[in-house]
Amino acid sequence: MSPVTVWAGWIGGVAIGAYLLLQLVLTGRHLGTSTSFGDVCGLVARRGFFTRGKFEGGPSWRLFFFVGLPLGGLLAFLTSPDAGAWTPHFEMGALYGAVLPRALWAKALVLGLGGVLIGYGARLAGGCTSGHTIMGLSLRNLPSLAASIGFFAGGLLAANLLFALAGLG
Amino acid sequence: MRIRNIVFIGLGALFGFLLSRSGATTFDYYAGLFLLKDLQLLWVIGVAVVTGLVGVALLQWLAPNSLMQGAPLPFAGKPWKKGLVLGSLLFGLGWGLSAACPGTALAMLGEGKLAPLFTVVGILLGTWFYGWQQDRAARSNLAKSESTQG
Repeated sequence: MSPVTVWAGWIGGVAIGAYLLLQLVLTGRHLGTSTSFGDVCGLVARRGFFTRGKFEGGPSWRLFFFVGLPLGGLLAFLTSPDAGAWTPHFEMGALYGAVLPRALWAKALVLGLGGVLIGYGARLAGGCTSGHTIMGLSLRNLPSLAASIGFFAGGLLAANLLFALAGLG
Repeated sequence: MRIRNIVFIGLGALFGFLLSRSGATTFDYYAGLFLLKDLQLLWVIGVAVVTGLVGVALLQWLAPNSLMQGAPLPFAGKPWKKGLVLGSLLFGLGWGLSAACPGTALAMLGEGKLAPLFTVVGILLGTWFYGWQQDRAARSNLAKSESTQG
């Protein structure tokens, strides 16, 4: 199913839960990823939203966290049995690969639209699956529970529509 | 480079590594989650939250200072905000369409998966659009208050 090693779900869950505690104790920062995309916007914005508030004062810790994430993906691949097979590609696996358009430009449109919804939605909601769902629920935070329910409702709707339209639901 | 920055690159790499090992960078698990056919990612999220809940409760009781800041740990969650419900639904639609979220899309790139590049560009555009909208609203509020005062 996957060229990278995948642990049993509960082991991955324990590891990610332990990770958020480690980050909290070490740095005093809550886990969260979507705001770092605002820091990237702040690299090119000269004034306005991305130069004020939490984006004020130049490159924040979030920007370095952002840079680390792809390195982690690379490390995960290089420590998997198929490490030698690392090669850039545009495939998306058996299921999404079957329902998304084949042509690269059309795939780019669907994924780009998905990304815009993710980016805009995360700012409107004030966080994403890491900040609201994993961190926020760990903090027993009610707004994060509401956001998490919304995330899942939207995901169920979009994916079921997508697979139904492709006749694979 | 400051040590703080190196630490955060390392933390990002560790989180990205764990997302990958959890299956969160494998597209098919998203289909399994949303079509309710393979609940790998639900297990990951559920157990991560339970682990986090227990750990946070323990940390609130022990009340240590953070190692790098030497200050009490923050335990306040994100506040209610206007648009939270709509935003979370829009986010979810994007999540289901692209089989990735902000953290996993970035980790996927490191595995050599390039399709999430389109998702990442989209997230940046969506984030930028939100900021643009906020700036526009702030300008129109300013204009309104000036016209009522003038």
